[in-house]
Amino acid sequence: MPAIETTGLTKEYGDLDALSGLSLTVGEGELFALLGPNGSGKTTTIEILTGQRTPTSGTATVLGHDPVAEPMAVRRAIGTLPEREDPPSFLTPREFLEFVCEVRALSDPEDHIERWAERLSFVETLDTLSTNLSEGQRQRVMLAAAFVHEPDLVFIDEPLVNLDPIMQEQVKRHLADYCAAGNTIFLSTHFVEVAQELCTSVGIVSDGRLVATCDPREFDDGELLDVFVAEVDAEREAVVG
Amino acid sequence: MTASNRTLLSWMVREEWRLHSELFGGRRFAGFPLAIGALTALGTALLAATGTRPAAVLAGLHALVALFGLQVGTIGLVGRDALRDVLGDVTLLLFSARTLPLSTKRLLGLFLVKEVLYYSGLFVTPVLAGFGVVAVGRGMAPAAVALAWLTVTLAFALGATASLALAALAARNALAVGVALAAGVVAVVATGTDPVALTPYGLFTHPSVAALVAAVLPPVALGGLGIALFEPTEDDGTDGRHRRLDRLLVAVAPDGLTRRPLLAVARSAGSVWKVLFSMGVLFGVTALVLRQVTAATGIEPGVGIAFGTLLGLGGFTTYSWVTQFGDPREYLRYPVSYDAVFRGALRAYLLLSVGASLPYLAVALLWYPLAEIALGAVIQPLVALYVFGVTAAVTGLSPNELLFDTPRFALFGAALAALATPLVVAALAVRVDPLLVRVVAVAIALVGAVAGLVLTRRAGPRWTSVFRE
Repeated sequence: MPAIETTGLTKEYGDLDALSGLSLTVGEGELFALLGPNGSGKTTTIEILTGQRTPTSGTATVLGHDPVAEPMAVRRAIGTLPEREDPPSFLTPREFLEFVCEVRALSDPEDHIERWAERLSFVETLDTLSTNLSEGQRQRVMLAAAFVHEPDLVFIDEPLVNLDPIMQEQVKRHLADYCAAGNTIFLSTHFVEVAQELCTSVGIVSDGRLVATCDPREFDDGELLDVFVAEVDAEREAVVG
Repeated sequence: MTASNRTLLSWMVREEWRLHSELFGGRRFAGFPLAIGALTALGTALLAATGTRPAAVLAGLHALVALFGLQVGTIGLVGRDALRDVLGDVTLLLFSARTLPLSTKRLLGLFLVKEVLYYSGLFVTPVLAGFGVVAVGRGMAPAAVALAWLTVTLAFALGATASLALAALAARNALAVGVALAAGVVAVVATGTDPVALTPYGLFTHPSVAALVAAVLPPVALGGLGIALFEPTEDDGTDGRHRRLDRLLVAVAPDGLTRRPLLAVARSAGSVWKVLFSMGVLFGVTALVLRQVTAATGIEPGVGIAFGTLLGLGGFTTYSWVTQFGDPREYLRYPVSYDAVFRGALRAYLLLSVGASLPYLAVALLWYPLAEIALGAVIQPLVALYVFGVTAAVTGLSPNELLFDTPRFALFGAALAALATPLVVAALAVRVDPLLVRVVAVAIALVGAVAGLVLTRRAGPRWTSVFRE
């Protein structure tokens, strides 16, 4: 059974078609990137798959659950790191992760918190109010919150934004190791190099439609960018034409 | 099994306390209940000096706290982006449903409970303590003050849940709000029901088990309805209603600094209808208070002065709405002065607050003479100008900081009382010399308006230097 499967997903915002019949399949253990230009429907896709938004039409299955009918079951089973999401400003990272552990009914929360703080290098800021942390430090806390219950599937919207180069390398290694252990990761990004370097599978989305899928490991450096630009241009010409 | 409601609630209370004490410092925030208590005691004593009985003051306190609840209840509806504009770059547990297996409706329900607990402790309790010090000295039984603590808390809950329910309903169907309110009015009139008996104040005046049920049931039902109807993510502001409203606002406000706050209010949850709604509540409350004052004291207050003053003071809510969308420092990046920004905000504010008052004054013509209502229509914009000037001077473009910063709150309260007290006294004393008192009331409001304009002119340079420091 695939980890994620969608068929003909559409989403309309007034006159704007954010998704126009998106169909895709992501297998278990894949590190999948949904690659697309700004406004192509990536964030809307993640919001629908994580039960935050209802599609106008179409169906989706996430780890065997329907995110429209069973949003809570989906959210219990997955981890999510949306773009532009911060930990609560007036709690410390430790307090926020304690909260997350309670909500997710995890035993030994301090154990989990210490482990993830060490792994993502924020032990020294565990007891600092989140409002006083830098963007990158907050991003690490949110990454920990998404992974702390070690779910089978994690959605991450723009995973490396705000992280310094050293932290980016650490996170890339962590994502690769996590998938190597049999888990699935669904990334959304418009950075082609991130998709090429990290992922085992890429879906290229343009104007709310999946226009191509490929294995980025089959391409040399820079080739995926050429494919991406060609596919997006072809789709736009088809839409305009 | 996830965390219990009690656990989630305790996290929210902890966060709320931390938010207030971190943003404004422990002492500035800790002094807030003391300032509230002192202001209430002072106001009660001043009104008592005019012959107003504590029972009449208590009726007004119920109304004012219910209004405050209305304001607080909209917080779940303004959305996280607007909240960020109000409080800066802030995230709250209320918004954690995006990443955790918690439903937004459950979080919103707990948020409401937390707000009621929080404000009953830090707002209602000092209000009743301040009132009680004066009222017990004038013969009110301590047990009555204790009962009032419960009924004023319920009035706060009623306000908060009513705004949540109505705004959630309006987000789905604005027409339904009008139908629901009209149906309520028709039901009350047709059955001859005393509307006060259906509020927490009814429990205070005639305590009984039935009155207790009538006081508790509406907040619980409205809270449940609001949470059930609340749709947090689907309104994208792109439907036809918004576009028609946009065209109208662009037509009445051709300059950008006026249009921007108008469009921001129009596109936020509840749109411009929330201004009309808040003025409607104020109008209804004023009408009820006028009736209660007459019933309790035999005094027939000046209706025009009372409506003009209270609807003018209600402009503070409108000020919050026209200034809460955007970072106040943002204008430092543009070739525009804060003087111009405040003038634009003032035009938007007057369009909304005066525009939303006029329909109610027109409705009042059904019960009151034209001369009285015309007087109210003159006084309301004058008082509104004063409220704008004072708020601009004390808070700049961040009026919600008043909720947390004791010295600013005390200064703001004292400044409003400086105009409101003589006008309220004039309303109560209008029968002494009807013509003279009315002329004096207009003169007082006029002086207030001039002061408001002067304060508005000074706000630009003042806040420019504050933001650039």
